[in-house]
Amino acid sequence: MRRLFGYMRGVGWRYAFGVLCTFATATLAMLVPYLLKTGIDAIQAGQYVRLSHIAAAIGGAAILMGVARWFSRFTIFNCGRDIEYEIRKDLFERLMLLGGGFYERLRTGDLMSRMINDLSAVRMMAGMGVLSIADTPLRYIFALSFMFSMNARLTLATLAPYLVLFAVMKRLTRSLMERSLRVQEGLAEIGSKVQESMTGIHVIKAYCVQEHDAQTFRQLNDEFNQQGLALARLRGSMMPLVRSTVATAVMIVLIYGGTLVQRNAVTLGELIAFIGYVGQLAWPTTSLGWMISIYQRGKAAMRRLEEIYDAALPASLPALNGELEIAGQVEWENVSFSYFPRLGADTNGQPYALREINVKVEAGTKLAIVGRTGAGKTTMIKLLTRLLEPTGGRVLIDGRDVREIPLNELRRVIGVVPQEANLFSQTIAYNVAFGRIDAGRGEILDAVRVAGLDGDLAAMPRGLETVVGERGMSLSGGQKQRVTIARALIYDAPVLVLDDALASVDTETERMVLENLTEGVRGRTTIVVSHRASTVRDADQIVVLDGGRVAECGTHAELMAAGGIYAELFRRQLLEEELAAY
Amino acid sequence: MESELERRRPTASYDWGLLRWIWAFVRPYRAMFWFSIVLMPLNTAFSLAQPYMIKLTVDLFLSPRAGHHPPVWLAPLLRNAGAHGLAVMGAIYVLLLAGEFGSFYGQFYLTNIVAQYSLSDLRLALFEHVERLPMAFFDRNPVGRLVSRMTTDIDAINEMFGAGSLTLLIDLLTLSGIIVIMFSLSLRLALWALVSIPPLLVVIRFFQVRARVVYGQIRDRLAALNSYLSEAIGGVSIVQLFTRHAETAREFDLLNRRNRDAQMMANVYEAGLFSLIEAISTITIGLIVWIGGGEAIHRLVGLGTLVAFIEYARQFFMPLRDVSSKYTVLQSALASAERLEALMREPVTIDSPARPRTPAAKSGSIVFDQVHFSYRRGEPVLKGISFAIEPGQKAAIVGATGSGKSTIIKLLNRFYDVDSGRILVDGVDVRDWDLRELRRNIGLVQQDVQIFTGSILDNVRLSRMDLSEAEITAALQRAQALGFVQRLPARVHEDLRERGSNLSAGQRQLLSFARALAYDPRILVMDEATSSVDSETERLIQLALVELLAGRTALIVAHRLSTIEKADRIMVFSHGELRESGTHDELLARRGLYYRLFELQYARLRGGEAGAGAEGQSR
Repeated sequence: MRRLFGYMRGVGWRYAFGVLCTFATATLAMLVPYLLKTGIDAIQAGQYVRLSHIAAAIGGAAILMGVARWFSRFTIFNCGRDIEYEIRKDLFERLMLLGGGFYERLRTGDLMSRMINDLSAVRMMAGMGVLSIADTPLRYIFALSFMFSMNARLTLATLAPYLVLFAVMKRLTRSLMERSLRVQEGLAEIGSKVQESMTGIHVIKAYCVQEHDAQTFRQLNDEFNQQGLALARLRGSMMPLVRSTVATAVMIVLIYGGTLVQRNAVTLGELIAFIGYVGQLAWPTTSLGWMISIYQRGKAAMRRLEEIYDAALPASLPALNGELEIAGQVEWENVSFSYFPRLGADTNGQPYALREINVKVEAGTKLAIVGRTGAGKTTMIKLLTRLLEPTGGRVLIDGRDVREIPLNELRRVIGVVPQEANLFSQTIAYNVAFGRIDAGRGEILDAVRVAGLDGDLAAMPRGLETVVGERGMSLSGGQKQRVTIARALIYDAPVLVLDDALASVDTETERMVLENLTEGVRGRTTIVVSHRASTVRDADQIVVLDGGRVAECGTHAELMAAGGIYAELFRRQLLEEELAAY
Repeated sequence: MESELERRRPTASYDWGLLRWIWAFVRPYRAMFWFSIVLMPLNTAFSLAQPYMIKLTVDLFLSPRAGHHPPVWLAPLLRNAGAHGLAVMGAIYVLLLAGEFGSFYGQFYLTNIVAQYSLSDLRLALFEHVERLPMAFFDRNPVGRLVSRMTTDIDAINEMFGAGSLTLLIDLLTLSGIIVIMFSLSLRLALWALVSIPPLLVVIRFFQVRARVVYGQIRDRLAALNSYLSEAIGGVSIVQLFTRHAETAREFDLLNRRNRDAQMMANVYEAGLFSLIEAISTITIGLIVWIGGGEAIHRLVGLGTLVAFIEYARQFFMPLRDVSSKYTVLQSALASAERLEALMREPVTIDSPARPRTPAAKSGSIVFDQVHFSYRRGEPVLKGISFAIEPGQKAAIVGATGSGKSTIIKLLNRFYDVDSGRILVDGVDVRDWDLRELRRNIGLVQQDVQIFTGSILDNVRLSRMDLSEAEITAALQRAQALGFVQRLPARVHEDLRERGSNLSAGQRQLLSFARALAYDPRILVMDEATSSVDSETERLIQLALVELLAGRTALIVAHRLSTIEKADRIMVFSHGELRESGTHDELLARRGLYYRLFELQYARLRGGEAGAGAEGQSR
């Protein structure tokens, strides 16, 4: 919460202005019933001139109140919007810096819900919440002082229903919140049921599960139905509750106040003013309940956001003097890694994803890493780029531990083509120049050509300016991968990493891209992760990973002669490729 | 960017059509619906009678003057009450209050019951309809879209019932009721009280037009902001690897700022309309005091009438404040209804025939006869495929990605219909089979094993509720899955998460084998998994496969050499054509495509070794 107050101080003056306007609004609003009283008094006394003055005063108050209310509402609400904007901005910048461990813990969906739902709860607190806090007490103070000055006993009698309303509302809003939360959850459950069934539709059809599945859905649906009705039962009572509180108070004014008028203890004008105040207090009293729940929700939401603020950033080092110049020698020195270092075991009972890896790549040479899914290939790459930190051992670039190089500098010397394309829904040019905003058109075209994408681009009417659909929907898998290759090439780093980068490309295209690449990567250290024989056979060094360990290591010829895992892998690979060629 | 709302054809007749469509789902609950509609004017009457009671009280008891008589219905009551006249007024007031509370609550709850029940029927109907749609539909429509149809869109219609159009009806009743009462109380005063209405309508219209533009902006900008956010979070490692933080933050800031600005603009408009209506309401009260007060001084109207007018004026402006937000709710509900109606209109193109044929004997023979098929017009995937598989035969399909292998198995259980030619199972065209019967007859094991939320038991059993736990356990045993299942804490009752993230790929494979074994189909079609598993699991899979294939006709899209070699028949597909067919030995002896494949493989192997060696030396 202290953090939120910090943000609120940032717009302090505007809050102050907004609150001032709110005070003005409340004051004027509470003045109107009093003016009404004097008006009625004037009518009863038959003073027409005085009456017209009072009417003019009411009109004037209305205009002033309108202006004040306008400023008060949008100023305070906009403070809320500004705070929302600032928090969202700060959180986003933070999110972009947070490392792999954080994203293992909090998934995209969870983060999105924090950034959308929780943030909007905080904004409600900073907007609507602040307005109510400024408005309600003042209205009460004014109304009570006017009412008490007119007749204390009538005031106490009139306020009785409000005490009841307040007590009921406080309880009601809490269960209202709980029930609407349950409805939200119910809807989410229905959503994930639909998601699951639609994803598995082929199984549902093949095994004739439709009717059974619809039965399951009907159950969820009925439950949701009941939750919705439970919410409606409560919500339905809100509005009449408020109205009948007002009406009960009006009735008390009429009956008890009426006898007082008959006894000449109060004037008719005062009675009318009472009716006015009673009406004016209704919504502030209701909103008191809302205020409490807005505050509670906002506080809980802020706590969830603070988790992002408080997540530890990867240790940052002082920037280097000048650019990092490296030759490109890479070494994994006795590297071990576990995703669950504290448990010492992952879910499948394997303690380590990588164990005692010793691999050295000389500058300008090509290393290939092969192995089955889950053998630890990608983990090796993530350790090099410090998306992960080793549990034991060191990863070195030119003999320096990567942890001793500032993160940005490190990543500027390594160009990565990751397994998943992860394109952004912008133009192809934007995606290619992702890491080099200053890249010229010529450079982009060059990279595109080397990546073997120029032919595909020629077929697209808008060429480089083609907008990639969300998550790259409109491009084929192979096209997306080649965009990511171009993206890494233009990055022009001394170390190039291709993490299974050509898996979705057919063999013909792959050969072409590889030929182009030999030209493109000349002089760079290249690290290729692949399961395809044709991609790796010309590497200077091939490392075969199995169960997190280096099982074999050598050139293609050496490994073929050894007749181990690699030779078997290569044979199977060839079969598939030959079948593909026909 | 044009938003979905604006793109709707805003013709009135079209909207009526949609409302009629929704009505079909409300119809079963129409008694309750009409009852809630009847309660509406009742509710309005109860609440509008209250200021009138105030008027009577003031005129009769508090500011009595000559010529004021109680109305005929009230006179006898007051005569009996004698000195307790005020108490009688209070009692009537309490009755009115109870009436208002009761009618409002009844109306609100009934409306909600109708909405909840009819929309839950709609949701179920949609779900059942969508599950019957052909696979081609699912190829076109991403799952996320279907999810939002059945959640967000239906919710929007619910909003319409709950907060939107129906309360609009109450508002309308209230407004016209107030106007009628005002005119009957005092024509002159009524005219003065309502003089602000015409200009107010103009102003509301102005705000409405502005607000719609701003709301459109907000919708688009918020969508852009959130989709950028989700992409950036999803691709955070890319941002970090390419050190693009600063630029990404700048781009996000722009979107964030644009969203904030539109939201702020909306606040200015909204607060403006709100304040304006409040102000006009108060000014009207001032007018009533002035004009009405003058008339009261000259004894033209009673003070009570004046007080009632002030109350009515307050109530009059209240609903005007949110009339435009209610209109927005209505619009978005209609937009949602349009999307839902379109989904319901999607034709079920693959269904059981009216009079299905049952084969004489279910032995498990398969015949493809000149089958042509394409997913998209003009892009043929299968070009005249013909083959026959005898009962009990195991056939392996080999070929490159995109050669049409997987399509064969999708056609067999009628996920799609052929363009021309026919497919016979047990001598009957699959289009003449009862669909359930056909699919019950064919077990499907796919590469990507779908796991549903639920226990292991549920996942093997699926819809066969008649299978006992013992039978399921037996199936697990035969599928070599019982070993790992029994190591789970709750064994067969172990809960699996969606997509089976707590199982390994090999374990999921074995589970899908158990599923097929439990169903015990005559025919088994299988898309062999390519994912590699550890050697122990591989051994279990081989063992389970023997069990799975025993006594069944099998059609396997094969990736493992061992599976290919063991098949009774190998069919080699290439570019949508069946190029060769026979046993491993026959095909090798024929010295055709399959043979060349092996020949080439060994040649390439030798060449590869030599080539790599030469390269190694040259370096």
